[in-house]
Amino acid sequence: MNNDTNVKFRLNNSELWGGLIGLALGGFVVWSGLKLKLGTINDPGSGFVLFYTGILMCLFSAAIIYAALTEGGPTLGSRWENTRWTKPLLVIVCLIAFSFALNPLGFLLSAIPLMLLLLRVVDPVRWPLAIPIAVLVPLGMWWVLKRLLLIQLPSGMFEIG
Amino acid sequence: MDTLINVAHGFGVALQPVNLVYCFIGVFIGTLVGVLPGIGPISAMSLLLPITLSGTPESGIIMMAGIYYGSMYGGSTTSILVNIPGEAASVVTCIDGHQMAKQGRAGPALGISAFGSFIAGTFALVALMLVAPKLASVAIAFGPAEYFSLMVLGLVVLTFLTQGSMAKALLMACIGVVLGVVGLDSITAQPRLTFGRVELIDGIGLVPVVMGLFGVAEVLLNTEQAIKRDIINAKITNLLPSKEDWKISAGPMARGTIMGFFLGILPGGGAVVASFGSYALEKRLSKTPERFGKGAIEGVAGPEAANNAAAGGAFIPLMTLGIPPNVVMALLLGAFVIHGLQPGPLMITQNPGLFWGIVASMYIGNLMLLVLNLPMIGMWVQLLKLPYNILFPLIILFTIIGVYCSSNNVFDVYVMIAFGIIGYFMRKLGYEPAPLVLAFVLGPMLENNLRKSLILSQGDLMTFIERPISAVCLAFAVVLLIGPLLPVLRRKREMVALDEGA
Repeated sequence: MNNDTNVKFRLNNSELWGGLIGLALGGFVVWSGLKLKLGTINDPGSGFVLFYTGILMCLFSAAIIYAALTEGGPTLGSRWENTRWTKPLLVIVCLIAFSFALNPLGFLLSAIPLMLLLLRVVDPVRWPLAIPIAVLVPLGMWWVLKRLLLIQLPSGMFEIG
Repeated sequence: MDTLINVAHGFGVALQPVNLVYCFIGVFIGTLVGVLPGIGPISAMSLLLPITLSGTPESGIIMMAGIYYGSMYGGSTTSILVNIPGEAASVVTCIDGHQMAKQGRAGPALGISAFGSFIAGTFALVALMLVAPKLASVAIAFGPAEYFSLMVLGLVVLTFLTQGSMAKALLMACIGVVLGVVGLDSITAQPRLTFGRVELIDGIGLVPVVMGLFGVAEVLLNTEQAIKRDIINAKITNLLPSKEDWKISAGPMARGTIMGFFLGILPGGGAVVASFGSYALEKRLSKTPERFGKGAIEGVAGPEAANNAAAGGAFIPLMTLGIPPNVVMALLLGAFVIHGLQPGPLMITQNPGLFWGIVASMYIGNLMLLVLNLPMIGMWVQLLKLPYNILFPLIILFTIIGVYCSSNNVFDVYVMIAFGIIGYFMRKLGYEPAPLVLAFVLGPMLENNLRKSLILSQGDLMTFIERPISAVCLAFAVVLLIGPLLPVLRRKREMVALDEGA
């Protein structure tokens, strides 16, 4: 890691942000534990383990933050340096869109466009190959699940599948 | 004599046609995922976890186990021919295996790797057969305090061996425990962290979490880089190693086997650590260490034997104590639980058919793997040419279908996608998912045993110190926790710390 990416006392230090997220999560777990009641040491309650795990999370996060402040760490941007960062971003967008479409459209109507997008957006597969794969694989899977394994995939508002 | 009768009983189970088919499917898929870079045994096992529901417990577990040890065989093929490890335990095999292939010795490299794996795998099974029942009889005396301390030790060892900062690994383990206890409290039946969602009352499913963190996140990471493959195109001949090759490799194989087996048993240890350990040992013992990295056959034989022996050894803590020593075994525990079975000291006596059937199937699986990996090597080489841009959308689709089928619930698909995205960012920021998954599986058991031991001891924390096994486990855990503060131990940790999840 070079000196440009290994920075101290900077807000875009990725280690610092990781630690802060951990600290926030730890705080939430401690609060949840307290809300669920700790019980006593003779008879620990539902929140007992959560509370102490939350405290440990805060301690480990504090150690990460301390290391980030004293030793520095790579910037957020450097984590994606020399990578094709737009590609995973596109896949994430496709997956989120799919998760929204799955219930209303059903498996087939959401999986076929998902496959087509995935085949085309990262390292584009030629259309004559991408289209048959995108259509036939989800169809084949749907047929195996529905006809052979008797598993009903979501059929959506159009009742397709 | 008893052992022989049990083994015969096990073969009776394993040789049933349906179990043979499941065993073959397991080792075939294991070899396949071992060969294909970008998908490892963890992703494959999580993908196939729901399928185990369709058969008997024996069939399901036999298949899952087959995937694990099968991937150890398959991983070496990619390492030798493409210089990309098919899975994490084969990283070391790349160093000398690929050099041998470049020198026109791909055949002997693949051959010694397959034979080494077979011999080590078989030894590990014999040892498993002999050690497991003895350990199980001792483990019956374990109380909640011992179980709690053992689980703590397992988690600490895994965090110690995880790549990068130990504080990050420990934070991941804590998050895993928290995620593991989501749902109804098993003692008070109070819902915890369910946010009013009915789907979370039974807790978060293991399948969506693992598929997200390992399957989807792995795909997202792989799409960042254009995967370049330097495939050896020459025809692979002379798969049988020469007399000289055997002579040089015998010692490394024997040492790798023994070392791998014991490292496999240790909580948190496993195939990855074993293969690196064996390579380092052979290099140190060699009279010509300068040959290492330039195509030394010992550098292939030792680590390959070690990672297969470790795969066998890792079954011991799971089968005898019910404690998974690594993430792969945690998934196997998930498969047991799906079938309503709890591995542990009583399993061997209460379910002898299951235990001995699995052990016997591993012998058969090892033989199948020898056939799959030597005469059929050409098929795997062809498979290596499958472009990743076609493979990864298929992996995504299979994970979606796999998760949905495990629960017939769209909510689990959302959970998987969420964990996939979280897992991707975690890896980018240097947070390894392996401690999280192991803690997620152990979390409920850990909590139960802690609360039980506190109730039984009427709140006396000394119960963890006064019981010798518990005290030893906790002492080791403390040493490992404070160890990284000492420069010597920190350097040692950095040497062995590995990406278990790859």
